[in-house]
Amino acid sequence: MNKTITIDGNAIPFEDGQTIMEAATAAGVYIPHLCHHPEYTPHGSCKLCTVRVNGRVCSACTFPAAEGQDVLNNTKDLNDDRKLITQMLFVEGNHFCPSCEKTGNCQLQAVAYYLNMLDDHFPHFYAHREMDASHHEVMIDHNRCIFCTLCVRASQQKDGKDVFAISGRGINKHLIVNAQSGLLKDTDLEASDQAAHICPTGAILIKRTGYTVPIGERIYDHKQIDEVALAEESRPLSKEIDHG
Amino acid sequence: MQEILTDCGAEDVLGLQIGGPSGTFISNQEFDRKLAFEDLATGGSFIVFNNSRNILDIAHNFTHFFAHESCGFCTPCRVGTSLLKKQLDKIVEGHGSAGDVVALEELCQLIKTHSHCGLGQTAANPVLTTLERYPELYQSQLKLISYEPGFDLDAALETARRMANRDDAGAHLAQIDVE
Ligand code: SF4
Ligand code: SF4
Ligand code: FES
Repeated sequence: MNKTITIDGNAIPFEDGQTIMEAATAAGVYIPHLCHHPEYTPHGSCKLCTVRVNGRVCSACTFPAAEGQDVLNNTKDLNDDRKLITQMLFVEGNHFCPSCEKTGNCQLQAVAYYLNMLDDHFPHFYAHREMDASHHEVMIDHNRCIFCTLCVRASQQKDGKDVFAISGRGINKHLIVNAQSGLLKDTDLEASDQAAHICPTGAILIKRTGYTVPIGERIYDHKQIDEVALAEESRPLSKEIDHG
Repeated sequence: MQEILTDCGAEDVLGLQIGGPSGTFISNQEFDRKLAFEDLATGGSFIVFNNSRNILDIAHNFTHFFAHESCGFCTPCRVGTSLLKKQLDKIVEGHGSAGDVVALEELCQLIKTHSHCGLGQTAANPVLTTLERYPELYQSQLKLISYEPGFDLDAALETARRMANRDDAGAHLAQIDVE
């Protein structure tokens, strides 16, 4: 007999070793997430995937599924808090969606729409963040980084390199690259690396590909992120998942 | 509590911080409480404040401490402790208006519930434990207007004034509309 947990009252089968996120995705249940990606070790930092397991607050992307778990996911309280956490990510950086090349393909923006976020709620930090356009093929706009570490993990785990890292602490946390000069051009990053394509926001972009897909025809222009995420992440793992 | 205070000769006590910044602030109405895991737990830290101290200053100091200490791993603590610092600064500096204490408490609950580790889960305790005991202290800091911008409007125009070489009345803004 299959082992099961319940999510919002529905029985969801799981296999030993699966996280709540993995069991949910396989069963077609969307749990909002940003730092989770099925091909990389979980990180558990964005806290968008917060669920209640037998009353206790847990991150679905890191918490192992186990018999007897009664999980709350799609509740008003949790979605309200997820919206506030998303708003925190927006005010921490500088996100001008209408002038951002990632608009319509951006997971941060799409999750904000999914959670019905209509304003920023919190005061802005107006953080001073730099751009790094030194590399001939790839650029970094630090204004849009949410420190999900997906580029860090992709570079280490898929590309066999070590191009990105997170440095500093607290609100001064920032993305750095592995070069004495601190510039992307002096790293061994190539545009074909997974790390150059994995960013859920518009922080890492491939040059000279901007607006090849017009606004209005982009991933989340016609579909909500829950539908897209379930379609992409519940299929057997493929080598190439390009959100950009 | 009273026994310890008597033993160490503490007089004119305003309140106690038990268990360090992440612990509990108790008022001088609660000295019958016990130092115990079931009541007031502490790893040993016990701070006595006398009546010359200001409760808002204490909460303010601890809140800044936590914003500085946050490692920044998770969103609720990384952004939340810094937002909490901003929000408390706004109230303490007298720029708060109706609704700002409610917003403060909402932020505290969010950080407490969703942070990844104990630092974030307790970072709001200085505000929460003092707010619970001295709500009127926080409320009395608020201005009697429904909204005030979180920054100084006139100061924000300074660069523009310099560039336009103007300093007439029309180049200045009042912080709130005087009715
Ligand atoms: S990265 Fe996403 S959320 Fe940020 S400005 Fe670009 S589209 Fe908007
Ligand atoms: S650059 Fe993108 S992928 Fe890398 S940490 Fe920032 S948001 Fe995540
Ligand atoms: S998706 Fe689980 S914490 Fe980010």
